[in-house]
Amino acid sequence: MAEEKTYNKPLPEIRPETKPYWDACKKHELLLPKSKETGDVFFYPRAISPGEDMSEDIEWVKASGKAKVWTFSIHHMGPSKAYKGEPPYVVALVETDEGVKMMTNIVECDPKDVEIGMEVEVVFDDVTEEVTLPKFRPVK
Amino acid sequence: MATKFPGVEDAHEILKKNKIVVAGVGETEQGKIPDKSSFHFLSQASKLAIEDAGIKKSDVDGLVTAFSLVEHTFMHCTTFADYFGMRPSFFSSVAVGGATAIWMVAEAAMAIATGQAEVVLCVRGDNTLSGISSSGMVALIREMCHAEFEYPYGLTTPGGYALAAQRYLHDFNATSEQLASVAVTMRKHAAMKENAMNKDPLTIDDVLNSRIIAEPLHKYDCSIISDGGAAFIITTEEKAQELGIKKPPAYLWGMGEGYSHQYLTSLEDLDQIYNAINHSGQKAFKTAGIGPKDVDLAFLYDCFTITVLLELEGLGLVPKGQAGAFALEGRMEIGKDLPVNTHGGLLSQAHLGGMHHVIEATLQLRGGAGERQVDDAEIALVHGNGGIVSAHSSIVLGNQPLS
Repeated sequence: MAEEKTYNKPLPEIRPETKPYWDACKKHELLLPKSKETGDVFFYPRAISPGEDMSEDIEWVKASGKAKVWTFSIHHMGPSKAYKGEPPYVVALVETDEGVKMMTNIVECDPKDVEIGMEVEVVFDDVTEEVTLPKFRPVK
Repeated sequence: MATKFPGVEDAHEILKKNKIVVAGVGETEQGKIPDKSSFHFLSQASKLAIEDAGIKKSDVDGLVTAFSLVEHTFMHCTTFADYFGMRPSFFSSVAVGGATAIWMVAEAAMAIATGQAEVVLCVRGDNTLSGISSSGMVALIREMCHAEFEYPYGLTTPGGYALAAQRYLHDFNATSEQLASVAVTMRKHAAMKENAMNKDPLTIDDVLNSRIIAEPLHKYDCSIISDGGAAFIITTEEKAQELGIKKPPAYLWGMGEGYSHQYLTSLEDLDQIYNAINHSGQKAFKTAGIGPKDVDLAFLYDCFTITVLLELEGLGLVPKGQAGAFALEGRMEIGKDLPVNTHGGLLSQAHLGGMHHVIEATLQLRGGAGERQVDDAEIALVHGNGGIVSAHSSIVLGNQPLS
């Protein structure tokens, strides 16, 4: 068996209220938090609805996985040593069909082809045994 | 936008009655200075501001500090009070990123108006360039983005501003040349300031040919990192006269804050940013009883070139979508329509948040900016921005008492 490369890039610091999100990601499922009181979907996940309702009654709804690129930046420099020598990568803020924004990477395409308004869909990157990051790729 | 501004009439009366002033300023050498600690810079800057005002250390009874990116402390203001040898009756640490320096003025003013202190020293200093560790830098980057939902995607601080810039260029058909021209103007101004880090001439091509950090931002679209300290003294006109302060004061006419988001994930659209900038500026303008057209010169937080364009438009100094052309036409230069950051800003002079923006505004209103002096400088706007165009603070300063 080939020696597995250690993943040195930053990993999410998972909190009690966000565990369902990351657990679902591991199962390659994208869940979004929703206030039961108002029916509003929000992001990022929190223990309390950021709306006027301040509800702690949060349910998780399955996302369509479809989004549009709202803005993006090809990063030529990463935030830590782990990115040294790596090719430029796309950090993007996408707007999902459910109307929330998510920070992500656009993958499986030439960074030069990414543009604002581009339709993308979720893919799951199992970066470690414990953590799966949802990323997005252009819809073919 | 139908934002209400409760209390601006009362605030106007309070500032008119108290006549709060910037009465002294001090700046240490700025640049790469590896042999001085964070608290050394703070002390030096404080001493210089006290000497500029011509008062004694014991005349100071209030202290406002910020934070250090190098020396971690939970109680920054009192840690400095101990180091510097003072026992202030009022003390506070302001920590709203790049909005801090401008809000220090407001914090001091509120303390004075409520009788907490009469003479407040506001100081910030750090050996950010020489002293920060790589883990400290990583911690700083993480502070700017969400540790759980943004940082794992490799978002950087320049990258966050690049995300805003990309959307701005898209929405307004703006260009990288326009962004670059902001850096070019700052460099021209820094060349006239003795205490500036980067003074070599810079062209638009130099900016566009510099290394790409995060598209569309190049190296020279990004502010510098420097070591140094800066301080100012806030008091009242009456107290300044009692202490025999000779330097002409800059009078505080108005102040305001505006908040958009902490994390870009919470951003709905660019208007959310504009609204926050506008709220900050409008509150300061309305308290001062003026409008954007009355401003003679502006000091705008310029951590990145894009920041200046968003601020010009959000503050109502330039119509929306037109700040790029305004910058490219050189209209922010000294002698033109609206001189901006006559000291060279964070892009070229030094990076100590907005400390030097407040100092330069004071020098200009005093008529003491030398080669950089703007003719008839009577009203200045100073604006700070913390986070990734997240938290905003504005003050209006005048060379005469508020009437």
